[in-house]
Amino acid sequence: MEGAKGAGPARPTAAAPEPAPARPDSTPARPDSEPPAPAHPARAAGRPALLPSPHSLLLRPSPGLSLLLNRRSLGVAAVLVVGLAALMALAACVGQTFVAPGAVWRTVRGESTPYDLVVNELRVPRIVLGALVGAALGLAGALVQTVTRNPLASPDVIGVGHGAAAATVLALATGAVASPGAVPPVAVAGGLAAAALVYVLAWRHGMRPSRFVLTGVGVGVALSAVVQLYLTDSELAAAEQVKLWLTGSLNGRGWEQAGPLAVVLLLALPALVWAGRAAGPLGLDPETAAALGVRVDRTRLGLTVLGVVLAATATGAAGPIGFVALTAPQLARRLTRTPQLPLVCSALTGAVVLVGADLAARTLVPPLEVPVGALTSLVGGPYLLWLLGRGGRRQV
Amino acid sequence: MSRRLAWPLAVLAVAVAALLSLAVGTRAVPPAAVLDALLHDGSSPDALVVRSLRLPRTEVGLTAGAALGVAGAALQAVTRNPLADPGILGLSQGAAAGVVLAIALGLASGFAGYVWYAFAGAVVAACLVYGIAARGRGGASPVKLALAGTALSAMTAGGTTVVLTSSSATLDQFRFWQVGALSGRDAGTVGRMLPFLLAGAVLVLACARGLDALALGDETARALGHRVALVRVTAASGATLLTAAAVAAAGPIAFVGLAVPHLARRLVTSGGYRAVLPLSALLGAGLLLAADVVGRVVRAPAEVPAGVMTALVGVPVLVVLVRRKGAVS
Repeated sequence: MEGAKGAGPARPTAAAPEPAPARPDSTPARPDSEPPAPAHPARAAGRPALLPSPHSLLLRPSPGLSLLLNRRSLGVAAVLVVGLAALMALAACVGQTFVAPGAVWRTVRGESTPYDLVVNELRVPRIVLGALVGAALGLAGALVQTVTRNPLASPDVIGVGHGAAAATVLALATGAVASPGAVPPVAVAGGLAAAALVYVLAWRHGMRPSRFVLTGVGVGVALSAVVQLYLTDSELAAAEQVKLWLTGSLNGRGWEQAGPLAVVLLLALPALVWAGRAAGPLGLDPETAAALGVRVDRTRLGLTVLGVVLAATATGAAGPIGFVALTAPQLARRLTRTPQLPLVCSALTGAVVLVGADLAARTLVPPLEVPVGALTSLVGGPYLLWLLGRGGRRQV
Repeated sequence: MSRRLAWPLAVLAVAVAALLSLAVGTRAVPPAAVLDALLHDGSSPDALVVRSLRLPRTEVGLTAGAALGVAGAALQAVTRNPLADPGILGLSQGAAAGVVLAIALGLASGFAGYVWYAFAGAVVAACLVYGIAARGRGGASPVKLALAGTALSAMTAGGTTVVLTSSSATLDQFRFWQVGALSGRDAGTVGRMLPFLLAGAVLVLACARGLDALALGDETARALGHRVALVRVTAASGATLLTAAAVAAAGPIAFVGLAVPHLARRLVTSGGYRAVLPLSALLGAGLLLAADVVGRVVRAPAEVPAGVMTALVGVPVLVVLVRRKGAVS
């Protein structure tokens, strides 16, 4: 799936008039003097010289199946996996009490050590949840940015976070639930509903990305007005609790939240494989993509739904954590240098960013815990402004 | 409706809204008693309620609404952008950051004390958002301004959250300012902001003709003899002063600045911005007061703050504008 290529014959050039059908390589090889007909890209698939870039790697496990991978993406993914593992190990050791790596390993394996509470009950669930939330947000960001063709769009911008917050607050105000931590399903539903509302409102003879973003900003403002109303109406203690949830924090979260998120990520895997293939042509302008035989609006809808579901589930698990979904795909693409936003590397980058941010939030001001969402906003806001001010090629 | 009736009707609407704002509430005061309380120094409970509670509130509503209306019209003309609005452009969050800083550091307490910090925060935020959005290719386009405002809002919100989650006393004071409401303002609020409101209004009105010319495009405006850069800077700083003063007085109030100028432009037949700006002031004052009055009634005896009411009413307006052809380039 890496590099947005899946099973199927390698497409030698983007100029192929239509996606090549999977075709067994039964055509006899032509003599070299005859140039290959450009209208039959499948025939050219057997020629390693026609790979799209020198970094490409073609795997052919069986005659009917071929995988086109990007060597650099593979390398980056491997480095990210190692980095994530190292960061998670570090996060398990560091905190108010330092636990030596050896002791952590023994504790995790189930031997009885004095650190059972700290490591197994507090740190490990939190770290795993952080990695899962980061991965889901990274994926969601990559999908939404592919759809809007805009590096500044993210699930936060199109209303998922605000919708989740407003739904949570409404559930609390009506007394349906007792504490903001207990309402992941409500938050997920709210995020989905808000994104659907934005999509419907922004739809007018097709989807214009800029209209999508502006409608999302407006709906977000209205939903945050609802949240503010609750904040002024409630008791101070309830307001503090909600404010903390609204910032997004991994504090006190664990397996309960990580379980459903892991299930959703697993269920989304087949869809993600499809998305990895479908996202490629959407990087071109809509007319070209349509000319290549892509059903642009339908593909966009599919990718948006997938991204919004992932973002809403992650928000339900940890509260609205800003800017991970925005920055992770952009960082990942700068690392892999692929034309599309790489899905696997975005997920890994998101996990690295969130685990790292949570580690920093726990340890920066020792007795105090900064909510991780505040930290990512403080770091991510300037990054978004820098993207805007840079005026590069991919401006809106 | 004949468009010649727009002016008298607008004046009438503001007068009715002001009267309602003085009369309606948990303690309903009959209109005759309102007039009596305003004209004579009565000491009946009704008169006290009207003079000490509802009069300052109505004053704040009138001035803040008018200021937001004018500022919105000017911002939309300067940026040639139908979606410019102080809330979307991040001025409100800038003001909020100023207020949080003031509360947390113990520099000010009570709405009267917040005013200056809110003012400073909004001005700084305005400079940052314009500066960042205008850089890069294509200048300050609608999407870039909105996103720069969003980014700055998110960043300052992150900063304020760090403070608010660690200090519950700060949160307790801040949450009532943040929502944007007209209640609880003392009698001197408008007086403190008046110099800035007047300066801002003068700056904006002085370049009304220039704003008309800007609508034709920079080249044409220059050919007509206007100094485009001067007009832009004057009108934008006037609008920033007006917005900052309004936010300082009433808290962050969304969408008045967005919706009112569009309404005013539809009602005006001739005179360009020299007519649109005053009409925006009237309509803004009327709208904000009406939102406040409705907010007092819908959930009586509790109140829905005016800022929430305007946001809920304003979003449909925004959606209609965005969907209309040509609103988004």
